Parts: sequence; C-alpha cells; structure tokens
Amino acid sequence: MADARVFVERVKQMEGVAGCLLIKDDGVLLGRALDDAETYTSLMLTAAGLAGNIMDKVGFSYCRYVSFNRTNNQTFYIFPIDQYLLGIVQKADCSVADMLERVYQLIGRVSTDGRRTVS
Amino acid sequence: MIQLIDELKVIPGVIGACIVNFQEGLKVTNLPAIFKPERLLVVGHHLLKLFSAGRESFSDLTDITLNYDESVVVARELEKGTLVFVICDPTFNHNLMAMSLNLLQEEYKLGDFSTEVAPAVVPAQPQADMSGKMQDLLEEMKGTLSKVLGPMAGFIFDEVAEEWIEQGVSDFSRIEVLIDLLNQEISDQDKIDSYRQLISPALKTFQKG
Repeated sequence: MADARVFVERVKQMEGVAGCLLIKDDGVLLGRALDDAETYTSLMLTAAGLAGNIMDKVGFSYCRYVSFNRTNNQTFYIFPIDQYLLGIVQKADCSVADMLERVYQLIGRVSTDGRRTVS
Repeated sequence: MIQLIDELKVIPGVIGACIVNFQEGLKVTNLPAIFKPERLLVVGHHLLKLFSAGRESFSDLTDITLNYDESVVVARELEKGTLVFVICDPTFNHNLMAMSLNLLQEEYKLGDFSTEVAPAVVPAQPQADMSGKMQDLLEEMKGTLSKVLGPMAGFIFDEVAEEWIEQGVSDFSRIEVLIDLLNQEISDQDKIDSYRQLISPALKTFQKG
C-alpha cells in the first residue's frame, strides 16, 4: 500500500472530497486531511464491526462501504481496504456517483491483494 | 403498519423492508421468508447501535446505508429505539428511496403504532452440537454454493442446513442428506453436478481427517 499520508493527500485532492482520514483496523490513525479526525475514528471502528456482523448474519460476501447520510448533504463514507479503513467526508454539492467512482478507482489501485473486507 | 412498508416494496430494486424496535423486537416485515425473523431482529439491533454511534458524531444524521456486494441495506430511525431498514438490489434509486422514507416517517409519526406489537419472535435455537471441523466443512460448502446459485446462496444454505440439523445428528454420516436437500433447492441437474464436483475435494479432505 502506498504511503498512508501520500494516499490521504491524493484522496483529499479528488473532486467531491471535503476531507478524509485513514486508520488501521486497530484504530491507529495513519493520515488525515480533516479536523477532529479522532472523533471519526471510533465511529469508523464501530461501523466496520457492526457492518461485518450484519454481513455474516445475512450472508453477504463483503462490504463496499458504509455511509452516514446527513441533512447538510455532507455524507460520511467508510471504505474498508484490507486491514485499513478510509473515511471520507463528501462535499455537499458534488456528484456522488462520480466521487464514488473516483474513490473506487484509487482503492482498486492501492489494494494490496485485490480483496477488501470489513472487520 | 404493514402497508407502510408495502409501499416501499413497489420501488424498483427493493427486496423488502422491516421495522424493528429495540425493546419490542420485530414489529413488521415484508421481506421474503428466506430472511428469518430472528436474523432480521439481530440485524435491526446492529443497525440501531450503528445509528446511536452515528448520532454521536452527526446530530443531523438521516439515514445509514450499508453497501454490500450483493445488496444494499438502508436504515432510517423512525423514533428513538425504532427503525425501518430496507434491503435493496444495488441498482436501486437513492433519491426515490430517500423520498419514500421521508413519507414513511411522516406517516409513522401521524399513525398510532406505538401499541402494535408483532407476535413475539422466538429466539433461534442454538445449533446442535457440531464439531469445529464439521462447521468448517459446512462453511466451505456454503461458500461453494454461491458459485452455483449466486448471491442468494448464503440464505438458502443456512435455511437448508437448519432443516438438516433439526432432522437428526449433524455429522458427516448424514452429509448426503444435506446435499440432497441442497440439490432440491438448486433444482437444475447441470448445477447439481457442478456443485457436487466443486465440493468433492472438501468432502474427501474431511473423510481423510
């Protein structure tokens, strides 16, 4: 995987991304490009764990992302990438489909074994 | 209350929905029977926890979306401790869903559903005693079934395995009974043959110990 800080910087530069952070699945913050990153860390870990439990319970194969949709349209996304979690705050006025496509493309390039899992 | 969620089901791509209350349990669902009530209840509880966690960070949280490979789960809190969740095909229309959930939420607030409680959901019986090795074999068979039946394989396998466990001892001596039950669900001879071929190595490995 590319250096975490470089990776975070590249994500931050994407159109539609207001801020982002990258953590390891043990909660260690590896890189950030937003304020109050610590407040997102626990949410990301909790969400990844619960999404994984739901996945096992229902029989889905893997989770692409979890999103928290807000009235201010600054949706917060959590993408599992191997043993890492990428959190992204979306810009309120962006094209969501385009932003997600760009993120998928980047994740596809940096993923270490081509398989992403939650928890 | 069923009509509230039945209206969601007309949206293209929606498989069904479910309303869960943390204390009262499963209130109503129109998801296919393959989604067992006890599992939906667990999913609902996880989503309620996820909502609580989300609210800690975002006071203006409206919905949570969990995008899986096969399906998408969209959850909306109707009131504290009660949420509706919808299981959809990944191609569903987000905007239409958001609007429909807004309407559902309004109707829920206007209606008096607080006293409605669905019949109590009987908790799932714990699985019969089964060796770890046997559980591993079943997991492998379950994973392999998805190569033949696609995304619904997990649900189908769990349902069939449950039936198999209820019928008798869940050990390798009855594995052919399980395979026969699965074959009935596959119901296509080419796929049945393919599944047998795919699981053969795992069966042989198990037998060798």
